[in-house]
Amino acid sequence: MADPNVSGQARAFMAMTPVKPGEEKPLAEYLRGLRSRGPSPLAKLPRTHMGRFVIVPDFHNDPTWNQRHEEHLDLNYLIFTSNLDGDIDSYLDELCDKLAPEAKEIWGRCVGCPDSASGHALKTYLKHNQIKSGIFFSAYGQATVAKVKESLRRREQVIAFAIRAQGMGPEELQQAFVAEFGSTG
Amino acid sequence: MSVEATPAAPITATGTHPRNHDGQAIAITVFSTIKLPGRVFLPVLFAVTRRFPKLTATLRQLSFIHFARWCLIGRLPYNGPPQKKGRFRYPHMYFESNFNGGWEEYIDAFSHILTNGMTAFWGTSYGFPKPLPTAPFKKYIQANETEADHYYSAYPEATSTMIQRALELDAKLAPLKRDASRMSPEEFRSAYRAFITDAQNAL
Repeated sequence: MADPNVSGQARAFMAMTPVKPGEEKPLAEYLRGLRSRGPSPLAKLPRTHMGRFVIVPDFHNDPTWNQRHEEHLDLNYLIFTSNLDGDIDSYLDELCDKLAPEAKEIWGRCVGCPDSASGHALKTYLKHNQIKSGIFFSAYGQATVAKVKESLRRREQVIAFAIRAQGMGPEELQQAFVAEFGSTG
Repeated sequence: MSVEATPAAPITATGTHPRNHDGQAIAITVFSTIKLPGRVFLPVLFAVTRRFPKLTATLRQLSFIHFARWCLIGRLPYNGPPQKKGRFRYPHMYFESNFNGGWEEYIDAFSHILTNGMTAFWGTSYGFPKPLPTAPFKKYIQANETEADHYYSAYPEATSTMIQRALELDAKLAPLKRDASRMSPEEFRSAYRAFITDAQNAL
């Protein structure tokens, strides 16, 4: 049976961790302020396509939905999800190393997180709280982040070249193309 | 204490909170509570969809999706007090999507193109009003959606379509790069023109 966390070479990771009572607001302020303090910490993980942190305060209950019993979360929960390249284990190694300063501020506010909030202890904690996907979809799962960025750059390069090459003779065109894109032949 | 929803959440032109954005990329995060039949039905649906990925083929038609996932959560891993141990009374379905465009357009497209798929996935959720008409469905999603506190895209200015076209273009460019210096100038010009014609849709 196919691994539900896999689509092409892309993997889905999700961890859902309980937030310590009293830490909900500082955690939200920290996460919401990340943008104003510079690039996202997830940019330090070059295998991350897209990722998110979401604090879920509770489930939604609506009396008109005929749900026999309301259901509430016991605590606020922090969701971290990532759409990443390659295997999850080595990705978490990178995360627990490169994101150590931020991890203390993020998972350090969660119940059961090791005091160090880094390294192997954090990895074990995140894996313990991993939620397996039912279905994971990627529109371009074969392409790594590096490949996507490179292809986007190349597309711009081809467009610019196509405009520049208009009206060139065969020899000039060939020389300009090889100079621009190289030739692997 | 609970995290408060931002009271005057500025809704952008894309119809969602700015924290759900990074450039063109938009996050949607939705929990729904599952009725009893869904405990059995959804794991089967997930397994069948993974085995026969017809639904994901349809998702591919919605060319503005980068990544999406569904998870069924019956219990959460235990981390010690004050967390409570045990199963939820109901399973909960987690859905997230990373897409570009507008929130409203996204839900509209989902409802119109994936009408049957949506009914299959959310049909056992409490409060699910059917995908069409879209207004009640949008209300349902809004009620169950949680805003991201931080959202990141590695290539925020690129849409999913741009990426797929760029990858396609790259694949088409490779043989021309490989053979360019082996050709005569005339042969190269013909090959280049053929490439530009072939790759037009990817540019």
